[in-house]
Amino acid sequence: MISSKQARRRARQLFRLCHVKGFVDETRVRRVVLHVLNAGYRECPAILAHFLRLVRLDRHQHTARIESATPLPADLQASTEASLKGIYGLGLTTAFVERPSLLGGMRIQVGNDVYDGSVLARLAALQNNF
Amino acid sequence: MIAFLLLAAEGEGQVAQIARTFGVDWPHLGAQIISFGIVCAVLYKFAYRSILAMLEERRQQIAQGIANAAKIKAELDRTEAQRVEVLEQAHDQATAFIEEARAAAARVLEEETRKAMLVAEQISIRARETAAQDHERMLGELKQEVGRMVVQATTAVTGRILTPEDHRRLAEETARQVAVAAAVSA
Repeated sequence: MISSKQARRRARQLFRLCHVKGFVDETRVRRVVLHVLNAGYRECPAILAHFLRLVRLDRHQHTARIESATPLPADLQASTEASLKGIYGLGLTTAFVERPSLLGGMRIQVGNDVYDGSVLARLAALQNNF
Repeated sequence: MIAFLLLAAEGEGQVAQIARTFGVDWPHLGAQIISFGIVCAVLYKFAYRSILAMLEERRQQIAQGIANAAKIKAELDRTEAQRVEVLEQAHDQATAFIEEARAAAARVLEEETRKAMLVAEQISIRARETAAQDHERMLGELKQEVGRMVVQATTAVTGRILTPEDHRRLAEETARQVAVAAAVSA
């Protein structure tokens, strides 16, 4: 039986093995998971839980959620995606979402970073100023 | 008495005439004079002297009584003077006590007045602060309410007002912001 600290350490080691050129390789992630499951260790659930948490965090950090009130034109989508990859690297995954409650403008969230130029955010700022 | 007898013998004529006229009996008169003298001597020895002694005693008692009365009067005067002095002292002390009590009462009154004024001032300050806080709170609530209503109204009409060009312009603003960040990070 290993401790939670040891499980976290082994999960980090496995997570490092999944990196290729600084990005997490999805194929390697699958292989690691299968390997751990086939090994049948008693501590597998704890290690896999920490490992999946690290993968989830990495995906969250490398996923850009781009929300807009109306569908964005293709040229604007391309320029925005290029700008984001310029900041966060080529491994960034983008997801364009239509969200009418924004009223207008665009809201981008990458990990903990948020670029909010939506009308909803401006109205919220206006309301906070009162 | 001898002289009287001699005078009587010399002037027997006229005296005898007068004695006969008034019925004087010389032996009888002599005996009465002698017995009167004896009575006087006895009275003097046994009555008059004791009466005099008694009178002297009475006189001394009266004098002593007068002296005692004078002494009592003097004592009374002295006592009266002491009484007056004690009364004056008591009056002075009472006056001093009253003055002291008045001064103490004035001090207490002044102190209580000062405390009451202080408390009143604190209450006034607290009331002003509370009123200011209430005013600020109500103003804030009013601002928030106005803001909420403005935002609500704006939200209701914005979706209908914005044209596709407006949507694109707004999205481009955010895209430019991201592009600037990309340029800075590069």
